[in-house]
Amino acid sequence: MSTNAEISKEPLFSYKNKKLITNPIGKDNPITIQVLGICSILAVTVQLKPSLVLAISVVAVMGLANVIISLLRKTIPQRIRIIVQLTVIASLVIIVDQVLKAYMYDVSRQLSIFVGLIITNCIIMGRLEGYALYNKAWPSFLDGIGNASGYAAILIVVGAVREFFGSGTLMNVQIIPDALYAIGYENNGFFILPPMALITVGIIIWIQRSRDKELIDAS
Amino acid sequence: MEELVNIFVRSIFIDNLVLAYFLGMCSYLAISRTVKTSIGLGFAVIFVLGITVPINYLIENYLLGRGALSWLGPRFADVDLSFLTFIMFIAVIASMVQLVEMIIEKFSPTLYNSLGIFLPLIAVNCAILGGSLFMQERNYANPIEATFFGLGSGVGFFLAIVGIAAIREKIKYSNVLPPLRGLGIAFIITGLMGIAFMSFMGIEL
Amino acid sequence: MTKDYSNKYIFIYSSIMVVVVALILSLLATLLQPRQERNIRLEKMQDILASINIEVEREKSEVVFWDYIVDTKILNHKGEELEGDAFEVDLQDEIRKDLAERQLPLYIAEAEDEQYYIIPLRGAGLWGAIWGYISLKSDFNTIAGVNFDHASETPGLGSQIADKHFEDQFKGKNIFDQDGNYRSVRVIRNGVDPDDPHRVDAISGGTMTCNGVSNMMYDGIRLYKPYIQKQVNL
Repeated sequence: MSTNAEISKEPLFSYKNKKLITNPIGKDNPITIQVLGICSILAVTVQLKPSLVLAISVVAVMGLANVIISLLRKTIPQRIRIIVQLTVIASLVIIVDQVLKAYMYDVSRQLSIFVGLIITNCIIMGRLEGYALYNKAWPSFLDGIGNASGYAAILIVVGAVREFFGSGTLMNVQIIPDALYAIGYENNGFFILPPMALITVGIIIWIQRSRDKELIDAS
Repeated sequence: MEELVNIFVRSIFIDNLVLAYFLGMCSYLAISRTVKTSIGLGFAVIFVLGITVPINYLIENYLLGRGALSWLGPRFADVDLSFLTFIMFIAVIASMVQLVEMIIEKFSPTLYNSLGIFLPLIAVNCAILGGSLFMQERNYANPIEATFFGLGSGVGFFLAIVGIAAIREKIKYSNVLPPLRGLGIAFIITGLMGIAFMSFMGIEL
Repeated sequence: MTKDYSNKYIFIYSSIMVVVVALILSLLATLLQPRQERNIRLEKMQDILASINIEVEREKSEVVFWDYIVDTKILNHKGEELEGDAFEVDLQDEIRKDLAERQLPLYIAEAEDEQYYIIPLRGAGLWGAIWGYISLKSDFNTIAGVNFDHASETPGLGSQIADKHFEDQFKGKNIFDQDGNYRSVRVIRNGVDPDDPHRVDAISGGTMTCNGVSNMMYDGIRLYKPYIQKQVNL
């Protein structure tokens, strides 16, 4: 199932391949346009740091899972494809978690709470189902990385906005000066609550769609 | 009996998977354009949660948990397979979903046509895995309690998705800013609904 | 992709998949288990020491642990001592047992000529398990320090129970009132009087986790009441 021969027909980063990465970050963003992977965004975006950690993990898992499914794509029977896809994702995540637990315990303490979130992240499943199942390994890999990056971008923006307004900090470092608190500024505790993540994403969609009129929902 | 009603009501209102824990958002937002389709998805979720939670309860307690294998003999009392929890739960969910899909396809093509497309989506609905993981954490006493918890969580999802679909249908006639139409306003409405549901949190049952 | 495979193929395919996945995962789990268990053991020692306000690196905790911990006991719910190694008692198993069969570990530590009694606790937060260690001074009433940890509380909200600023609030609080009634320490939202010996301030946005901490402390320490009463009356 080597794809070397197929790749050599076109340059590794052809225009089409580049689009696979850049599209999902903007116009075809998994969260704001495709509506995938919303659950995890609500749970982790209270602060910037967990958002970053989850973002990096999703990029890694998605790239790998896309490649594996793409390599297996001709053997997977249609009827049990969901189980096969979920098994691949879940095994990948568990393997990483187990190895970290043994060799990088501190990192694993940070990550272990995301294990469940990564497995059920519908972005991963959505891209396996929508792309990797029908395409070659290399484009699938790029598609995975691209979509995960688009997801990561929103995650990080929302995390930054919520931590800034909710706690006055970024990466646990105080940003809003004490002087401002002295004259009566208060952190907006509302931003810490999960519903504010939804409303923040709503506002991001608003901004994105007012800049790019093509994306406006006709209905 | 009282306990069962208690679990059921709790899981619908106070611990509502969608509006209190914000699980299952993807399908919730993607399939809530019309009331009719959302009712279909809602019933499918009730059904799948009602089946998978008790099955996973049995798997957790007689197969995977610490000492769960002790019914095989004292030699197995120390076996701990809990590293397989995630993969087993997800496999049960995925196979149940696929089984349901096949059964419905065989016996009721009409229902399949209106429901079929949602079924694969349910497998990755984090509300379903969330239901099983909550069940594991809350230590229910027997499979019947777990079943009631599963059904209650499903009904909670049903209420939430039908609620937002109804609002979205109405809002079509309102003059929403064009860039916010569709998804944008749906996100914001869900946020507001979540804030409203937070008032249930104070209730002690 | 559109062609459908025979049932036989599907059956064989899924069997192979199950075997391969199970093999990889169990192999990995068995190979890595010793190292993982060591990490967990070291962390437990580190956490216990942290509850008497002694900070050590995880790798070094095993070396200094027995310098501070002078004795361990296993108690039952009547306050009688049982046989066994307290460090090996796993609360995860114990909290599922009936009260009469439950083993209650107690660690006795000595630091700077003060004796501390360390009680391990375990309960449920919002998403998963929470646990911790609480150390009492030799009057069995004043809290010398606490250490909390959690499996999966919301990052930035409930997860703050493991932060120093939250844990430090417990220092100097009392678990019994002046009349000797058991009160524990509760985590309460908003406007806690810092001098109230039975209350500490909750984390905003982490109410469910904080309620879990309150319940865990109330239910956990209560089990040791018979033992404490015996000690104080002596």
